[in-house]
Amino acid sequence: MSTTVELSGVRKAYTGPRDRSVQKVFDGLDLSVGPGELVAVVGASGTGKTTLLHMVAGLESPDGGRVSVGGGASPERLGVVFQQPRLLDWLPVRANVEIALRSAGMDEGLADAALADVGLAEYADTYPSVLSGGQRQRVAVARAFSVDPAVVLLDEPFSALDELTGRRLRLLLQDLWVRTPRVGLLVTHSPAEAVLLADRVVLLAGRPATVVREYRVDVPRPRSPEDPALFDLHRRIVADLL
Amino acid sequence: MSLRTGPGPVRPREPDDAPPPAPAGLRAALRRRQGPLAAAAFLLLLVSGWHLMSLALDSLLVPGADDIAAEIARLVADPGFYADLGVTFQRVALGFALAFAAALAVGIAMGRSPLARRFFEPAVLIGLTVPGLVWALLCVIWFGVDLINPVMAVALSSAPALTLSIHQGTRTTDPQLLEMAHVYRFSAADRLRYLWLPSLAPALFGGARLGLSLAWKVIVLVEIFGMSSGVGSSINREFAAQNVAGVLAWTALFALVMAALEYGVLQGLENRAARWRKVAAV
Repeated sequence: MSTTVELSGVRKAYTGPRDRSVQKVFDGLDLSVGPGELVAVVGASGTGKTTLLHMVAGLESPDGGRVSVGGGASPERLGVVFQQPRLLDWLPVRANVEIALRSAGMDEGLADAALADVGLAEYADTYPSVLSGGQRQRVAVARAFSVDPAVVLLDEPFSALDELTGRRLRLLLQDLWVRTPRVGLLVTHSPAEAVLLADRVVLLAGRPATVVREYRVDVPRPRSPEDPALFDLHRRIVADLL
Repeated sequence: MSLRTGPGPVRPREPDDAPPPAPAGLRAALRRRQGPLAAAAFLLLLVSGWHLMSLALDSLLVPGADDIAAEIARLVADPGFYADLGVTFQRVALGFALAFAAALAVGIAMGRSPLARRFFEPAVLIGLTVPGLVWALLCVIWFGVDLINPVMAVALSSAPALTLSIHQGTRTTDPQLLEMAHVYRFSAADRLRYLWLPSLAPALFGGARLGLSLAWKVIVLVEIFGMSSGVGSSINREFAAQNVAGVLAWTALFALVMAALEYGVLQGLENRAARWRKVAAV
């Protein structure tokens, strides 16, 4: 797999709606995600983590510099899991996955297998609004992975869930990653989540934000949240964050 | 005898006890029919009041309910009535479909783009303030007796209200869903069918009701002024013959058909569109 994500010299600023003051979020940010690598971006609130992910997803444009996904002539297929599941509540669960498959030019019949992968096969015909928060997020994960994405973007995917549900979903995500490694970018507030899931953790800080530190997670998958090596790394990241 | 609903001692019924409550099934059935019963009571009061007024005035200009009923009976037995009703329906359907398509495109554009909103806003405001009578007269002048005359009159009169309603509905559309549709590259048709239309459903039904009510008024005017068929033309014929009972009979039947459309079609479609909410509420 040769797909990569590259951000080079990226600049991004917002203008205040009232005082017209310019807030520089990034001023020459460089970041790369190598083939088959899952990189987690951690940092305090307001450092531009979500802006970074939105630029990679094509939801926002950089003011300068280059954001490249895949590097090929045609844009790579993305799978995105947002903080909120962002499901179409008026469509049954299966149809929510089918529409993503159809948009990717893939067989809609793969929806059932994708739902089975996240343990929701029996809920395929129900409406998302009757599901719990964790189940809804599982549907979002199924939708993201169903399209066989070259790049998976995860925007604080489990931060809105309770601790136990979040833990289950992190392990589910890890399981999906073990089966098929992909290029991934995870934005999270949680250093514990970052070290459990990522191959590399990037600490973003300052304004404009820059990469101030990187940590390689040299623990083979599948990982356990109780792994002492992960816990040590977690402690180091928390200390650097503070 | 006592109705026992659960375990516990049976209380003997005292002679001065209130009458036993109606069985739950009957009460529920009565509650279900409260709405239709209230509407029926209003109609009964209207017809009775009208009839008493006609008796009191004793004027040819205010025919009694029995005369109007006789006219209604004559009309529904006449195949020409159904032909005229069908022609009017066809004109309204075509005009409303045109208005709906235009309003959907313009309303969504206004909701998505501030430039489009500023561009179309004057047109919508002007359209809302022009009386239906003016549209009817202008279309008769511009398009003569062609089918395009009533179709354009209906479209021009109903599109502004529909557009405004859709534009306001776009504000309730979740921008996060639009982002999701963007990253998964939904086709334009899928965005319209699976995202915009369901999001806009409440606004669409509200706008459709308002737009249709304007359309019915305008179509009758257009048919009175410039057509030789349809409900308006028939009302005009009764008016020329000074048959007030005939005018009222046509009006009553037209209102009845509109009510059937509202309750039978629009509400059915609305319930279908909101089916997922009911499932979620169970």
